[in-house]
Amino acid sequence: MESKMKRWQTGVTVVVFCLMVFGFTVATLVNPTTEFSETENRVLAGRPAVEAEAIWNGDFEADYEEYLTDQFVRRDQWIGLKTSVERLLLKRESKDIYFAKDDYLIEKHTGSFTTGTAQRNIAAQTEFVQQYSEQFATGHISVLIAPNAVDILQDKLPPFAESGDGCDYLGQIAEHLPDGVWLDAASVLREHTDEELYYRTDHHWKTLAAFYVYQAWAAKQGYSIPELTDYEIQTVTDQFEGTVQSKLGIQTAGDTIELFLPIRGPAYTVYKESTSKTENSLYDYTALDTKDKYAVYFGGNEPFMQIKTEVKNGRKILVIKDSYANCFIPFMLGEFEEIDVLDLRYTNQKLSGLIAEGGYTEILILYNASGFAEDMSISKLTN
Amino acid sequence: MVFSSLIFLFRFLPAVLLVYYMVPRRFRNLVLFIFSLGFYAWGEPVYIILMLASILVSYVGGIFIDGFRQAGKMKSAKAALTISSAISLSLLAFFKYAGFAVETVNSLTGAGFAVIRLALPIGISFYTFQTMSYTIDVYRGDAAVQKNLLSFGVYVTMFPQLIAGSIVQYKTIDAQLRSRKETTKQFAEGIHRFMIGLGKKVLLANSVGALWNTIRSMTYSEIPVLTAWIGLAAYTFQIYFDFSAYSDMAIGLGCMFGFRFLENFDYPYIAKSVTEFWHRWHISLGTWFREYVYIPLGGNRVSRCRHVRNILIVWLLTGIWHGASWNFLIWGVYYGALLVAEKFIFGKYLEKLPAALRHIYCMSFVMIGWNLFVFDDLGQGIGFLKSLFGVYEQRFLNRETVYLLYNNVVLLILCIFGSTRIPRQIGERLFAKVKGKGIILSVIQNIFYIGIFLLSVAWLVDATFNPFLYFRF
Repeated sequence: MESKMKRWQTGVTVVVFCLMVFGFTVATLVNPTTEFSETENRVLAGRPAVEAEAIWNGDFEADYEEYLTDQFVRRDQWIGLKTSVERLLLKRESKDIYFAKDDYLIEKHTGSFTTGTAQRNIAAQTEFVQQYSEQFATGHISVLIAPNAVDILQDKLPPFAESGDGCDYLGQIAEHLPDGVWLDAASVLREHTDEELYYRTDHHWKTLAAFYVYQAWAAKQGYSIPELTDYEIQTVTDQFEGTVQSKLGIQTAGDTIELFLPIRGPAYTVYKESTSKTENSLYDYTALDTKDKYAVYFGGNEPFMQIKTEVKNGRKILVIKDSYANCFIPFMLGEFEEIDVLDLRYTNQKLSGLIAEGGYTEILILYNASGFAEDMSISKLTN
Repeated sequence: MVFSSLIFLFRFLPAVLLVYYMVPRRFRNLVLFIFSLGFYAWGEPVYIILMLASILVSYVGGIFIDGFRQAGKMKSAKAALTISSAISLSLLAFFKYAGFAVETVNSLTGAGFAVIRLALPIGISFYTFQTMSYTIDVYRGDAAVQKNLLSFGVYVTMFPQLIAGSIVQYKTIDAQLRSRKETTKQFAEGIHRFMIGLGKKVLLANSVGALWNTIRSMTYSEIPVLTAWIGLAAYTFQIYFDFSAYSDMAIGLGCMFGFRFLENFDYPYIAKSVTEFWHRWHISLGTWFREYVYIPLGGNRVSRCRHVRNILIVWLLTGIWHGASWNFLIWGVYYGALLVAEKFIFGKYLEKLPAALRHIYCMSFVMIGWNLFVFDDLGQGIGFLKSLFGVYEQRFLNRETVYLLYNNVVLLILCIFGSTRIPRQIGERLFAKVKGKGIILSVIQNIFYIGIFLLSVAWLVDATFNPFLYFRF
């Protein structure tokens, strides 16, 4: 049919084409470089330096293409367009994320648990626990790896969708640990699947889920077991759009973040290593005005923190953790004199040295399943 | 560089278009040549030397062959042809087949020769065949000698067809290299063709390829039979939409610079026999082998025995042209055997069957062919073949099958329609209907093509699965 095009029609085609190709070219050239993507919560690739050697071995070319993709003008909207079309075409998943029921976006974590890293991390943790099992008696080392949404919210998944293999992985972790170390968070959460356990748009568990698991841990440790009525539950935002949504570039209903503020809690101070400052609150309310609202807990991920409370019971705990712990730690305040919080991903502090000098009476390892399986810094446990 | 990338669409293409159309006509081949070298060098500059050497060999070869021909020294001309072809083929053999050959010798004899592992220069099989077609055509008197090194260089390196075909025979574009006139009309046709190709590659081939990758990574002894077939269907569509998309984009880009390349795919999946399939699939490769191997061997004008031999030789070569490993060889012989069987045994019975059955027959064999083609590892290939036929006594389907099916049903339907003439017929009918209302048609057309382009950009920005399938060719 092309051959029958009239002269002016061909002209329109050429003009429109040139407008698109040259237009986007100019737009991508003048578009200022963004260093950090708030929506994706990651550092974007920058313009690579032109070096003869890098060009010759192909590195420059690869870097430049990554730069162009990362810095493409209106990147988020393009990704959103793709996701929307995929949904139109009846797809119930995109980029390894299920479009689940009730507006839940649930990551599948395909392949996360079968990698070499996942296996090495189990081995490193087991070695760590065995190494310290003499120094810390039974019950004084705890491992708590929280399951991800896909393994708990099975009722929400699209029809015929498989849930993940995260629980098998958790089973493997538990198998390797001595008695009395493992806390089976998955079983606790399965009792509450009709409640709001995970964010719809984010990869974290909600504070309520952390609360239930804390109850179970406290029971196991012989601490006092809190009830929901012990807290004033404050909804601090209903506009939280988390990392999972960002990956898809689409707008869905925002999430709420609830803080559980104890009605009678101990006074405390928080020392943060990154700023060398001591604060009086676990919460950073200014984070609620940014994209990363989950950073309301501690203002985000801290390499090392020391929380000192007015409790006088001689208990001093080291928490080795990822961000799942951020909404869990506030429940611990009443049980410890001191809570030291170490995030292996952001620190090079020698763990054995810290434990030798810290005078800890307990240790808690708290991660989420996929985070633990993928984390390259778990090997630092044996440092 | 590949066409389906942001770097091509928004850096290379605008630059080459701008410079090409700004310079006077006599510099346009030079512009194409320089940009084509840049296109080829992007990401792997080292092998550009190899390509230039290959060009030089055939260029010099062509001049010698022509000189001897003019002087009536056909024997010397033949010698020159033999030498230049031998050099070209040796380069191809060394870079593509040396590793495979050494491995085979090692495994057969138990010898421990060091295996050379070279990254295969992209497009070497395509451009080697092109340069050889030139020298052979000059020798046969089918093409005039090209004394302008630049024009010859453009013929070989021209970026639209450089890395994934089609295999352009020199004689088909000889005149266009010397003088061509770019027109707005041809440019517009080229745009439409390019958009179609881009959409086929980015939206259809990559998506259905992701489905195939999911199924490919499963455990074959456990996957249900239906899942295996969905996987094979997905690959069947991926290889067609990917490969024909490259040809579409090549033809479209050629048009933008005033070239006319021959069609390379003609709806292969509507074929009703394997013979017909190969008249519709990768036509330029089939033509090459017919003209430069099959017919010189005597083609079908020999005894039946030799005829069969000729077919099998051609298909053995076709097989290993696609890659240096056993699966490609077996795949080639598989088709050779099928074609011989159709020609001499059941072709005449086949013609009496209803069209639908013939189509099912053809596609079944084509799909099994892709099963042989896609697995480099023979063990894996056989494993998958077994699961297709339920040899592991797996279930017919499971939850996952249903999930994969309904998630991809729209995509698969689009692929089925896209591999027939139906979309084209709809377009033509639309054209007939709104005849005289050019504006409406123009609006619909442009929205369609802009839509494809924007969606393709969205898929590329998201940087999802975007493989290049021909690095082994």
